[in-house]
Amino acid sequence: MFDKILIANRGEIAVRVIRACRELSIRTLAVYSKVDADSLHVQLADEAICIGDAPSQESYLKIDRIISAAEVGDVEAIHPGYGFLSENAHFAEVCENCNIKFIGPPSSAIRAMGDKVAARETMRKAGVPVVPGSDGPVDNEQDALKIARKIGYPVIVKAAGGGGGRGMRVAHNDPSLVKGYHTARSEAERAFSNSVVYIEKYLESPRHIEFQILADRKGKTLHLGERDCSLQRRHQKLLEESPSPALTNDIRKKMGKAAIKAAEAVRYVNAGTIEFLVDATGEFYFIEMNTRIQVEHPVTEEVTGIDIVKEQIRIAAGEELGYDQKDIQFQKHAVECRINAEDPFNNFQPCPGRIEFLHVPGGHGVRVDTHVYGGYVIPPHYDSMIAKLICYGTDRRVALDRMARALDELIIRGIKTTIPLHKLTLKDPNFRRGRYSTNFIDRLLAASQPLVPPKPQESAPVPVATTE
Amino acid sequence: MELEQIKAIIGMMKDNDLSEFSMEQDGLKIRIKRGPEGFQQTVTLPPVAPPQSLAAAGAAPASVPAPASPVPPPVATDAKHVVSPMVGTFYRAPAPDAPPYVEEGQEVDPETVVCIIEAMKVMNEIKAEVKGVITEILAENAKPVEFGQKLFAVRVK
Repeated sequence: MFDKILIANRGEIAVRVIRACRELSIRTLAVYSKVDADSLHVQLADEAICIGDAPSQESYLKIDRIISAAEVGDVEAIHPGYGFLSENAHFAEVCENCNIKFIGPPSSAIRAMGDKVAARETMRKAGVPVVPGSDGPVDNEQDALKIARKIGYPVIVKAAGGGGGRGMRVAHNDPSLVKGYHTARSEAERAFSNSVVYIEKYLESPRHIEFQILADRKGKTLHLGERDCSLQRRHQKLLEESPSPALTNDIRKKMGKAAIKAAEAVRYVNAGTIEFLVDATGEFYFIEMNTRIQVEHPVTEEVTGIDIVKEQIRIAAGEELGYDQKDIQFQKHAVECRINAEDPFNNFQPCPGRIEFLHVPGGHGVRVDTHVYGGYVIPPHYDSMIAKLICYGTDRRVALDRMARALDELIIRGIKTTIPLHKLTLKDPNFRRGRYSTNFIDRLLAASQPLVPPKPQESAPVPVATTE
Repeated sequence: MELEQIKAIIGMMKDNDLSEFSMEQDGLKIRIKRGPEGFQQTVTLPPVAPPQSLAAAGAAPASVPAPASPVPPPVATDAKHVVSPMVGTFYRAPAPDAPPYVEEGQEVDPETVVCIIEAMKVMNEIKAEVKGVITEILAENAKPVEFGQKLFAVRVK
């Protein structure tokens, strides 16, 4: 087992990893930017090293400084968290070359799944259903139109180097496809330095259902069930739950098998997630794989009782998974609400600032994963998620009632948050019945807006770095 | 003036929401201004006399405090620092048996190499980037330093 680990991240996930390390008696080294000097992860770690100025490119994305800190701190492994360098194959390689264990999959698997076009091809060859779409990159406008007409509108243009909801454009007809094609390419060039795009059929209001994978170095690959992440806004998840109210046991079994096949096709090791879209008829299609721990991993942890971060560390240390697929129990229903420092009724405008007062809920079946505390100042340089509220119980009704109760107890003063939006969601009868898909939040917000025309100078806010 | 006393003054300013404090005693002049990025302090020491300690903070004459408002940082400081631009190990000399690059009291100009920071087996020569005199060596030889860490105090000319 490792003696000391460097956590190459910040915020709640850094706290999460430090907690797992402490329970495994592993010493921790935190890295931080100047503006994060008072952050909780810095305070909890055994040691901390400042690696740069506030902007991520000056600190948390600086591979040389992180490796330097790892050497100076004499660590054996690096946990990359999510976002930042967690899916950077080059970073994983640098770790490998410097004899530092990267707690995640091999760089080859990151590469294989990081190129979304290649990933689709790999999945198709492995017999995993993929969304109907282009066979490879779409290099010009004429090809785009041909493919779109073949698949049938509506279609979505996606960046090959993107993911997590970024670099996408939906088109319902030829003119909007032409426009979307060029916009998506230039956006992709700017955001990912890679203008390669592909096209998929756009499923209207599908459910977004993902499967958690754990695989050890011996090749044993298991799934820990699904998470329904259909509640999204602009492709950013707001609420996740497991099990999905939309799946029958039959579809669940089929999807679980497909998820394992997908992971095995790239010889995956460690924790990862296979994302599917499920249409109204129950057909499911692979869209991408996330080769890292995910924000919503606590949902699966509370359903199965398995500590996914500890398993990540154990697998990286060379241990084998001590159980089989049949041993995994799905005992509870769990729901997670992402609490963001954003104003949901003002276009989700980010609200960094000082938390004047914080009171977190407690009691049976309530879990809060956060890095904030009373008096903490949320810096504007990073993403806006400040806490995750996870509630679980014997069935969905219990979990949802518990979440509504916990949301009432949760007080965050000094900034605006998405708490009111979650409360509205929990009250919605369709949501309660399990009837929702990816357009739910937009509809809920539209229904709750007062009938006032928007101000002429309003424009969509630029989100500060988004992770998923 | 002791560091603890300066810290105490900063604490009092925070607690009472003051933005500026200045004081003069026995040739020692101190001015602390609170800007949008935090506190900046200007300490002017008398040329030869050793640091003076204050009898009591209350006995020192203080200027009238101004209400807190965003203030730009003070224009010229004559205490500056060479800070580390990277994470690594600090070395005062190019080799274990060689003389150090600089000593206290030594004059430097912007191109003077003042130390080495070793990062990932690469020895990086760090330049002073300022013209002045080294007044204090703040980092320890062969010990790790982090980004932004103060390496040397320099009295700027």
